[in-house]
Amino acid sequence: MRFSGRLVSCGLLLALSLLMGCTGEEAADGPATSVPGTTPAATSDAESEKVYRIGIAEDLTTTNHWTALGPDGSIWNSYVLGGSKPALYGYSAQRYDWVPSLAADFPTPLEEEVVEGETFWTTEVELLEGVKWSDGSDVTAEDFAFTANTAAGMQLTGNWPSIVDPEFFDHAETDGPYRLKVFFKQKPGLARWQFGLAFMPIFPRSYWEPVVAEARQAGDTTEQQKALYSHVPEGEPSAGGFIFDQWERGAFAEKDENPAYSFRGTEVALYASGAYSATTPGLTEFTAYGEPGGETVLEYVEGPFAASAIYSIYGSQDAAVLALKKGDIDFMLNPLGLSKGLQEQLAGEDGLTTIENASDGLRYLGFNFRKAPMDNRAFRQAVATLIDKEFLVDTVLQGVAIPIYTMVPEGNGAWYNADVPLIGKGLNRQERVDRAVELLKEAGFTWETEPRVSEDGNFIEQQGEGLRMPNGEPVPAMEVLAPSAGYDPLRSTFAIWIERWLSEVGIPLRANLTGFNVIVEKVFDQQDFDMWILGWGLTPFPDYLESFFHSRHSALEGHNPGGYNNPDFDRLADGLLAATDLEAARQQVFEMQAFLAEDLPYVVLFDTPIVETYRSERIEFPYTETWGGLQSVSGMPTLVDFR
Amino acid sequence: MTGYLVRRTGQMVLTLFLIITFTFFLVQAQPGDYASFYVLNPDLPPEVKDQIRTAFGLDKPAWQQYLIHLKNTFTGNLGVSFGNFPRPVLDVLAERVPRTLVLFLTATAVSFYIGFFLGKAIAWRRGGLFEYATTISGALLFTAFTPAFGLMMIWAFAFKLGWFPVGKFLDPLVWRGADVSANYVFGNMLLSAAAFIGFALLVMLCLKRFGRRVPSVAAFPVVLGGALVIVAAWALSGIGGLALDIVKHMVLPVATLTLISFAGTMLLTRNSMLETIREDYVMAARAKGLPDKQVRDRHAARNAMLPIVTSLVYSLIFAIDGSVIIESVFSWPGTGLTLLQAVRSEDLPLVMGAMLFIGMLSLLAHVIVDVLYVYLDPRIRYQ
Repeated sequence: MRFSGRLVSCGLLLALSLLMGCTGEEAADGPATSVPGTTPAATSDAESEKVYRIGIAEDLTTTNHWTALGPDGSIWNSYVLGGSKPALYGYSAQRYDWVPSLAADFPTPLEEEVVEGETFWTTEVELLEGVKWSDGSDVTAEDFAFTANTAAGMQLTGNWPSIVDPEFFDHAETDGPYRLKVFFKQKPGLARWQFGLAFMPIFPRSYWEPVVAEARQAGDTTEQQKALYSHVPEGEPSAGGFIFDQWERGAFAEKDENPAYSFRGTEVALYASGAYSATTPGLTEFTAYGEPGGETVLEYVEGPFAASAIYSIYGSQDAAVLALKKGDIDFMLNPLGLSKGLQEQLAGEDGLTTIENASDGLRYLGFNFRKAPMDNRAFRQAVATLIDKEFLVDTVLQGVAIPIYTMVPEGNGAWYNADVPLIGKGLNRQERVDRAVELLKEAGFTWETEPRVSEDGNFIEQQGEGLRMPNGEPVPAMEVLAPSAGYDPLRSTFAIWIERWLSEVGIPLRANLTGFNVIVEKVFDQQDFDMWILGWGLTPFPDYLESFFHSRHSALEGHNPGGYNNPDFDRLADGLLAATDLEAARQQVFEMQAFLAEDLPYVVLFDTPIVETYRSERIEFPYTETWGGLQSVSGMPTLVDFR
Repeated sequence: MTGYLVRRTGQMVLTLFLIITFTFFLVQAQPGDYASFYVLNPDLPPEVKDQIRTAFGLDKPAWQQYLIHLKNTFTGNLGVSFGNFPRPVLDVLAERVPRTLVLFLTATAVSFYIGFFLGKAIAWRRGGLFEYATTISGALLFTAFTPAFGLMMIWAFAFKLGWFPVGKFLDPLVWRGADVSANYVFGNMLLSAAAFIGFALLVMLCLKRFGRRVPSVAAFPVVLGGALVIVAAWALSGIGGLALDIVKHMVLPVATLTLISFAGTMLLTRNSMLETIREDYVMAARAKGLPDKQVRDRHAARNAMLPIVTSLVYSLIFAIDGSVIIESVFSWPGTGLTLLQAVRSEDLPLVMGAMLFIGMLSLLAHVIVDVLYVYLDPRIRYQ
């Protein structure tokens, strides 16, 4: 045993020797590495170098942007890889106006054109001259045409079809290096062109053309796609504020400042009048939506001010929060923001600032219109009336959620219709029950025993029993599918209380709290359900109203699993998809919201504010009020500055 | 022995087949599939979702998918990971295994050494305060809720005291611009450990062969010399600083794992020792007047090692499996975390690949233990 003890001592000595540090001049497998000897020195380098240190919860899965927008589409990939590719148009900060980015101005109106016997809808876009890739070459219309034609020609999968929709996009041509002409097979609405293809990230043709050419030799379409997705880019030029530099799988990714970034120093201003202006010295001066002047609501200058951005990967939010508290990172990206417990952990910490924004999502209760009584509008309105969102949010959930009533949240100012009826808002318990009973009675529902509220209005003195539908049949036992508390305690709490409130008036409902995948399968794949509670993340342009409620999406696996079918609404939804004018589309969206507020295919329940914390003693953002929080703009790497 | 090994190999193949079958249908039983995640993108038309299913082979009935998977597995093709498309499963696993191995082999070795040492000591001196204190604290730590305990360790030693990093396996600020990958360093660390162990075993064998002519004390400087050569090689390699950074990140998870698991070995050693020290040959050794330490270490402990070695071999083999909890808490992206993420996202090929790997190794562990028994206890013979 004496010998074994020594053997172990040798092992410990070996570990100790490693701990003592050993530095050398030459790496074993290549050229010299410039590895700092100690971490503190490296940290102080980072301080002086202005490194923006961001925590993320999951690793990248690729550095290939074709793949990241294709089969490997994940929020984590988009956080890190996003921003290096220019797009023709984008959203303005905060207000989400549609504004030019690489384009010099708005596109020409769509025109019908016949080319060699084929009819197309075409539009032309003038590009800015002088925008550079990081290798010094110009960003041109050829780059756009190459990207869109490749995506369409190779039938790229994943999210590509939602960007380059094969039903609409035919091809793109160039007329000189800075003029682009896009050919559509059919007239595209805003969703397909202005808020679809025009947002497409543009790839550098000089880098990718040989890769694509080689991939196209790889056999059938699937093999070609696989060949393209397999490519690991090295030295790919960037036209964003940063150039991708390094990825240590499972540990971190780093982007370095792009010295050739053409939009550095761009001054952006948003005015109370609705006007927008962006001035890039030596490149462009652009104004839209009115004459700039009067009160300025937002003003900032484009960076980047950071020498690099490092994305550190943490296996859990708890670890990332401790790293934030310790000062290892400046900000953590999370699509859901911070949970209540973590918010409390960070509250009152010196050097940290916590911000709260409306999130770009909603949780809702949906109905299966194929079954009675869910197909009855009065029934749905009665259900909406009985749900006391304010009580649940304020009393039970201690303010962690915000009650909402509309399919376009108030935070999406440009598209929100403030004039729709908000069923059930502001009523007390007695008024809710009375109104629900009234609605049901008017629709022909009857009770054997009607529900009765106590005199003080606080509880149900007499529970409703024997509720019958207008055709005389008893209301069947129903089930609401909702995520279990382990997945989402808020939605499960809502489900339990909805069961209670509906049961009190005699509606036989049972909450079935189950796994998320079970709900998705039952609702979307099988359409075997009565009601369900889930949530959606929303885009600023509300074409999702068409996706969720147009009757053509009510087939299996469609996004209207409830089977809502209203020809008037469908007409408006079709109009929205076909609209090419922003103001006309806005009117369509307003009318659609009015329909949904009355018809209630969804009872919109609540939203959770997105809470985020950053190290304000080290970094500052030009603004922090933004729909969806700072994570929705990937933590603003090109705008963050250092104190 | 040869006949026995052939029979065991046949059993292993059959068991492996059952493992593959059971795991495949267990994963299939989950609601939805990988393509279901695309259902949540309302901008994708249904035909595109069908294309995704076809591309991943999910459009075929389960039994067809199973047969294809079976054929691929037995021809060495584990397929392509859905979540890391189009990376092969083997590539993903090869990336994660070294990280898990370095962490868990170190933790296993340390916790076994401490557990064996303490178990031996408390069995020899029963009833003292040391035994009670060690047993109670060991049992308490053994039953600690691992995620909470891990976070507590981070909070105390990384956040409050600032001695160690907050999770992860490297510091990005140290690794910026490094020309080698972390896996290269992990690989070399494993090679170094293997080289050192191999060298130490060689020295032990030589000592056994020429033991009468060479005093055992001579082995120590030789082994130490070997260790120093390895250290020198690291120092000259230019990546010693990177290895040092990894070692620094390992301290806290290894300490956590050791604190949680040493009690198992300690109690096993104690029980085994208690049985052994009642044997006649131990009493005979004492009666001969041999020093207490020699009786304990050479006569009792060596014979009490059989169950402990069994346990150690299993632990070493299962080290490759990692731990979902420890890897999550300490942000250590090894096989455990990979398996968890693959199950969550229904990345069927990756789940199957990881399970196959673990299944094969556990079967191998059983065979190794059987063979080791023969060498450790000459009374055991397989027919």
